[in-house]
Amino acid sequence: MSRPRRKEPETPAQRSTERGATAPRRGAQQHQILFADRSRSWRRHHLNVARESLLRLKQTPVASVMTLAVLAIALALPGFLLAALGNLQALTDGWDPQPRIALYMQTELSDAAIDSFSRELLLREDLSSVELISRQKGLEEFRQYSAFADLLERFDSNPLPAVIMVLPKDSDPLQLPLVRNELAALPGVDEAQLDMEWVQRLAAGLALAQRGSYVLGGLLALAVLLVVGNTVRMTIESRRDEILVSKLVGATDAWVRRPFLYSGFWFGLLGGLLAWLLVQVALMLLAQPAQALADLYLNEFELQGLGFQGSMIMLASATLLGLSGSWLAVSRHLREIEPGAAIPGDV
Amino acid sequence: MAAIRFSNVFKRYASGQDALLGVNFELASGEMAFLTGHSGAGKSTLLRLIMLMERPSRGQVWVGQQDLSRLHRSQIPYLRRQIGVVFQNHQLLFDRSVFDNVALPLQISGYDPADAARRARAALDKVGLLAREKHNPVTLSTGEQQRVGIARAIVHKPKLLLADEPTGNLDPELSEDIMRLFGQFNSIGTTVLIASHDLSLINRMQHRMLTLRNGRLVADV
Repeated sequence: MSRPRRKEPETPAQRSTERGATAPRRGAQQHQILFADRSRSWRRHHLNVARESLLRLKQTPVASVMTLAVLAIALALPGFLLAALGNLQALTDGWDPQPRIALYMQTELSDAAIDSFSRELLLREDLSSVELISRQKGLEEFRQYSAFADLLERFDSNPLPAVIMVLPKDSDPLQLPLVRNELAALPGVDEAQLDMEWVQRLAAGLALAQRGSYVLGGLLALAVLLVVGNTVRMTIESRRDEILVSKLVGATDAWVRRPFLYSGFWFGLLGGLLAWLLVQVALMLLAQPAQALADLYLNEFELQGLGFQGSMIMLASATLLGLSGSWLAVSRHLREIEPGAAIPGDV
Repeated sequence: MAAIRFSNVFKRYASGQDALLGVNFELASGEMAFLTGHSGAGKSTLLRLIMLMERPSRGQVWVGQQDLSRLHRSQIPYLRRQIGVVFQNHQLLFDRSVFDNVALPLQISGYDPADAARRARAALDKVGLLAREKHNPVTLSTGEQQRVGIARAIVHKPKLLLADEPTGNLDPELSEDIMRLFGQFNSIGTTVLIASHDLSLINRMQHRMLTLRNGRLVADV
């Protein structure tokens, strides 16, 4: 048998002397004795409540599983989107976009002059390849591939300029415009166009998708908050009597709150684990077709999962959302359950 | 040394109903008293003010040396831990055993589990229900349920024991048993205040009697 935790007067005489000696509240000395006990019982209560609220989920298996499924899907969706975007970014990072610069030559230059100009370009050290598309070849290609081929009938002579496609050695996006400017200033060059637009478009598209999944993630986080909040609210309702009686025999708000916060915690954590599983399974299902796609681009690419860090972030935010959801419900509804109004009886 | 002191206490409910009108009395530490009056006289309100389930509209209530009007909401649980209460409708929880019901106040106050178990069994033994500790209270008779409620009220050895119609639904013999039990707690120094309208029983008990009528204290004998 363990020692008694509380100092406790055994006789009326002792009782009255002790009460006489103490201040309106408990005396300081007694308070100190209680402190170690209190922190021990506080830890014990946390452990008990954590275990009990986990077991409580098992008491209503269908409802718990349904709630967890909703949470898992709501959490998995943004997790999956972010993982997919991460992969797409890794994929495009691997691509060398090979930005080309198109030099549109002045139309009054002769073919010979353009030819010798393109040969001079070949000698430059900052270009790795030079390709000449003569006016005639351009016209043929235009006839072949463009839907506006009949437009050409209206011209007496070939309106198209000769184009020289060059590939700069340095593909640094900051350097490329400088190279372009230099080439544009060369005599005979009408216009030099840096063909990087599709890379920029892709980047912008990715940024948009990323922002979109953050917004979606935010909305779904809100959904998680509400689902947990509502579930906990119903638990509070179903345990109304227990809350009332506990408050009547001296339970603090924190004590009453604790089991509900722990249910929110478990909902968040378990929902997060399920969501993580969903994301991993979805990525596994996608791994093979993604590999096939990457192979077409001759890319060294392997589908990435959430990774350790991503997984931890996912679990942590799920748990935090669960806790916050239950906190919302608890702070909103527990104060309403006060013994004052609820005990029936005469006045 | 007063265990309870009411000083010119008024209580008007939000509905406009006056439950208490200028109540003054003192209950000494270690005293036992009955609070009587017809239904609606204000007995329950008076007990609720002591438990801080309600706050007075005017006047002051002291429990021990604590002026309850100065007690912040967050301090209320610690006040309630010093008081044991027996309710007319006993307020037992039917989702747990008799033992767990009785041990609840100890659990809440943070007693060591082994210590709490020992005390809960002692309390159950005192009301003669130790053999039923593993039962669900729903399987017990009304009288037994009331005794479980009493065990829960005294398990932490409160200095002050309140009871609201503790014998309300019981036959005379059981009622007498229960009153005798309260007498026993009083004889070891517990201050006891019992609200009851069972005058014949109260008269036999030979204790101080406070009578309320329409919210006023009309007799104190």
